[in-house]
Amino acid sequence: MIRTGNHGFGHERILALSRQEAAGEGVPRDTAARILRYGAPVGCEIEHFSLLDRCLDRLRQRIEARGEVPPTGLVVRADELVAASGRFQRAWYAPAGGLHLALLWADTLLAPFSRFLPFAIGLACCETVHRFGVAAALRWVNDVLVRQRKIAGILCETHARGEERYHLIGIGLNVNLDGFPAHLQQTATSLCLESGQAFDLEEVFLVLLARLQWNLGWVHELERQWLAEDAPSRSESFSPLLKKWLSLSDTPGRRVVYGFDVERQPLYEARVRGLDPAGGLEMELADGTLVTEYSGEIRYLDAPCG
Amino acid sequence: MSAETIHFDEIFERYRSDPYDYVEMHAVHAGTVRFLVREQDRVEAVSGEWKHIPGTPLYEITRERNPKVITAATNGMVSWINQDLEGQFVETGTHLLTIRHPLKKREIIEAILQEVLHLFPAPERARYFFPPEIQGRIDQKGARSIVVRPGDEIITMSLMKRDTPVYYTGEPGILHSIYFRPGDSVDQGVPLIGICPEEKLSVVQKIITRVKAEWE
Repeated sequence: MIRTGNHGFGHERILALSRQEAAGEGVPRDTAARILRYGAPVGCEIEHFSLLDRCLDRLRQRIEARGEVPPTGLVVRADELVAASGRFQRAWYAPAGGLHLALLWADTLLAPFSRFLPFAIGLACCETVHRFGVAAALRWVNDVLVRQRKIAGILCETHARGEERYHLIGIGLNVNLDGFPAHLQQTATSLCLESGQAFDLEEVFLVLLARLQWNLGWVHELERQWLAEDAPSRSESFSPLLKKWLSLSDTPGRRVVYGFDVERQPLYEARVRGLDPAGGLEMELADGTLVTEYSGEIRYLDAPCG
Repeated sequence: MSAETIHFDEIFERYRSDPYDYVEMHAVHAGTVRFLVREQDRVEAVSGEWKHIPGTPLYEITRERNPKVITAATNGMVSWINQDLEGQFVETGTHLLTIRHPLKKREIIEAILQEVLHLFPAPERARYFFPPEIQGRIDQKGARSIVVRPGDEIITMSLMKRDTPVYYTGEPGILHSIYFRPGDSVDQGVPLIGICPEEKLSVVQKIITRVKAEWE
């Protein structure tokens, strides 16, 4: 069942919140204006369902529909998902009370910048959790954890129709879930469980969309700045987006197990040294050799510092 | 290349007279170069279970006070160094040195096959795997049961937890060679798969058989 337009706010309200929050980002006004323009399409159209199998499947339907070109920024939201899954077909618990959505974003970025999208999405989710008073931390690449438990899950895929390519970004944010099945109790949490109170889902949705506008817009602005530089003098310095990601992450310094599919096939243990300018995870193995990974995932083996 | 244009004797003689690969090392970016090896030095390739132990340091290139050491990806001997460039500023892509790499029988077969097959390279440095339905068919019936046509979603690229389908471009044919293990990290430009047009399959098999039989 489609329930469009019941989310209580229009695109203008997302833009207004983004503009309001931009003032606190500490970037020059003209840069902030460009970032907001790049990110503005987020939430330009919102489809809201009471029940779906998966939001990403609905996005694919829209892309494949004859005679239609779905707008970049299209958001599909469902109150409840019955077949939600993460990477490697891992099940994702998505009952009513959570925020379940998928975002369509046209693939117009150059390859060195589209790799920052997963960081930008994770950052947006983590910042949203912080806005509601819960201290979350990012685990490389974009797991959002509170007390080592996952509060948000993100799935980034690419879909092509002819020459057009789209990023499909699935997000699940545990908001008002007051419990989890037994097998998830040690690994999952929600805003409600962490704070002891329920939240207005529409307000959380609004803040998340505003943070997505800012962070996606930021990736595009970084690309614009890079293209504006002369090729020989282009620096390999850290982007401010990664610096901000690092400020919200507890990954550096941690002892981890790494694997492409770390739950089914862990490959090795290492200590995280940090990130390289491309977002690669720099790790030190037990024999002192350094290795940098650009995909795969980690799990922590130790407690957070401090 | 058709069966008629493959001159076996000529190819074999080429590899017999000079069973080496000459790996040219070019400046990875602009900067000031300092060589860390000399001509005739032996160099070791990257090694370790996860290719995590770097190879022999070859040269250091410094840009904006940011030095980067470039290491050997293959083993062999340094056969040539552009010594005039020591301490000089070079542009991206400048030929700096050459490594002479001794070929093994397996590498000779691969080198000959790579002249015949259509190679499909990795679009970016990332980890690659086959979509589940293709992996299932490879597991059950073997790679050569897969017919690939332009536009087919043949491989999935995983980069920063973002999965992107990779669409095949090139001649249609049979999936003959797979140059990566699912989940392997592959550098940009390195071949992922080799596709053999159906009419060349018998030629390819002849090459493999003959190299195995005739090469010591």
